[in-house]
Amino acid sequence: MAGPLLRAVGLTKRFGNVTAVDGLTVDVHPGRIGLVGANGAGKTTFFRLLLGLTRPTGGRVEVAGVDVAHDPAGARARLGYMPEHECLPTDQSAADVVATFGELAGLPRSAARQRASEILDLVGLDEARFRPIDGYSTGMRQRTKLAQALVADPELVLLDEPTAGLDPLGRDGMLDLVARLGDFGISVLLATHLLDDVQQVCDQVMMLDAGRLVVSGQTQELLERSGVVLIEVDDRSDLLVAALGQRGVHARTTDDGAIEASLTDDQQLDTIAEVIADLGLPLHRLTTRVGSLDDVFLRRAPAA
Amino acid sequence: MTAAGTVYDRGYRPYDGPLGGRRAAVAALYRATLRRALGFRRPWRQKFLPWLLLGIVTIPAAVNVGVAYVTRDTPIRDFEIINYRVYVGVSSSLLLFVALVAPDVLCPDRRQRVLSLIFARPLSGADYVLAKLAAIGSLLVAFSLLPQIVLYVGNMLVDQDGALNYLTGHADVLWKVPVAVVLLALYYASLGLALSSLTTRRVVAGASILGLLLISSAVAGILGASGGASPATAAVNLLAIPLYVRDIVFLGHIHTVFRLSEFGGGEALAVGVYAGVVAASITVLLWRYRWSEA
Repeated sequence: MAGPLLRAVGLTKRFGNVTAVDGLTVDVHPGRIGLVGANGAGKTTFFRLLLGLTRPTGGRVEVAGVDVAHDPAGARARLGYMPEHECLPTDQSAADVVATFGELAGLPRSAARQRASEILDLVGLDEARFRPIDGYSTGMRQRTKLAQALVADPELVLLDEPTAGLDPLGRDGMLDLVARLGDFGISVLLATHLLDDVQQVCDQVMMLDAGRLVVSGQTQELLERSGVVLIEVDDRSDLLVAALGQRGVHARTTDDGAIEASLTDDQQLDTIAEVIADLGLPLHRLTTRVGSLDDVFLRRAPAA
Repeated sequence: MTAAGTVYDRGYRPYDGPLGGRRAAVAALYRATLRRALGFRRPWRQKFLPWLLLGIVTIPAAVNVGVAYVTRDTPIRDFEIINYRVYVGVSSSLLLFVALVAPDVLCPDRRQRVLSLIFARPLSGADYVLAKLAAIGSLLVAFSLLPQIVLYVGNMLVDQDGALNYLTGHADVLWKVPVAVVLLALYYASLGLALSSLTTRRVVAGASILGLLLISSAVAGILGASGGASPATAAVNLLAIPLYVRDIVFLGHIHTVFRLSEFGGGEALAVGVYAGVVAASITVLLWRYRWSEA
């Protein structure tokens, strides 16, 4: 596949007066992609648009080169989907459910049963796979949901809040599974409001706020572009802070004597260097502070 | 750890085998619905009733053959407990089967929100309806045809003039029964599934199916008794509609036991109501499973 894994151009979805997705334009490449936003930001609506389960009000979206509006079944053939809500038939076993959904995805019967067995091994569902689902714990149900999403070997698997309802141990296990999917060459689009989950496993991030894309890019780049630099000079930190303030650079002295400067643009880095040189201060350290996705989101979302 | 106790993590293997499209998905849903309806891979409680009803439906055929065998050398050898025409649709077991099975194959999918997984596959709402309708229709055809086959083959074997003579003398049965059975199955399957699609509760759906058919029959009777019989009164009886159509297949007209036979154009009215019920039922189903807004 030469083009991007996902391409959205001006994608919009309105429900009456409510705009759930607003002019989304983005190219997403294979990998582990985090789709973050608060509840109601448009994540689930975006998934439904990718699956062709709802028609966009405007714009278009392609999955692996397939225009979803023209060929929704073709798009869905390339996708796996793990919904957030309960969605498993409780009177059947995981082995039966995963095999059945493999057949529904087009696998021959024997291949579906074989794949179901392999995928249930992968997600760590052992002898419990032969028991009815209504006796499963939340973690076992989440693993079963993930297994049915993977059984047909999709190019991209859509995970909607996969760690919802899990205890810390279960959450770590699920995130470890998600990370391994990326290692196996399966692209993942992980929708969650938990930025820590995304920071832990995703190498790309898309942030939605009120249906709009507020930021997207490589996770590490976004973290490094936190906009905060740490400066260490000699004991004349206060002098430097005051001088920077006069030049429009907001800075403060931290508890350990360093200086933390918040940059609004890259040119202010040059300003810092100039001020230090003008004051004749010895520069011991000048580094970018690696922030968190929370910082990135809080910085970007209000501007949108 | 010894070699015998070694654990292998095989990781993930991509699938490189054949992958069917929508047709394969519809066929898979059809098979899954058949399995569910017959209780396969489910506790024995879910197996018991469908197979009991099949047994009940087949009893009259077996008894008729037995009586024919016993009386073959007596003056009453032509006595029939039941004939092919009446056997189509007369059994309340079929009605109970629809009221039991149609809700069971639809309601849980909506109640447990399984539909979101089903429609994440390359299946449209129309595909879902087609698979469910085909599965329930197939079972009704099978449950209706099996007793007829028992009856026909049994009668062939006990006929004093020989099996070939019976076959040539009753050759028309070989097409009338299947046609009438298919029409009956389509009616019950579409109506039963349409009513089941309107609720998430199996008990409510089953009661609705039985209630609509039985109450319409009672209402038709009351209207006929109080205001005098009329074509419209007779056509209200949804329980009798497939039996009118059955009579048209077997006899070319509605049997005189039904009040509708007294009116000119009764046959056309019956066919019209039949088509209307089936069309309305399928429309309801397609509307309820219009998953995409397209």
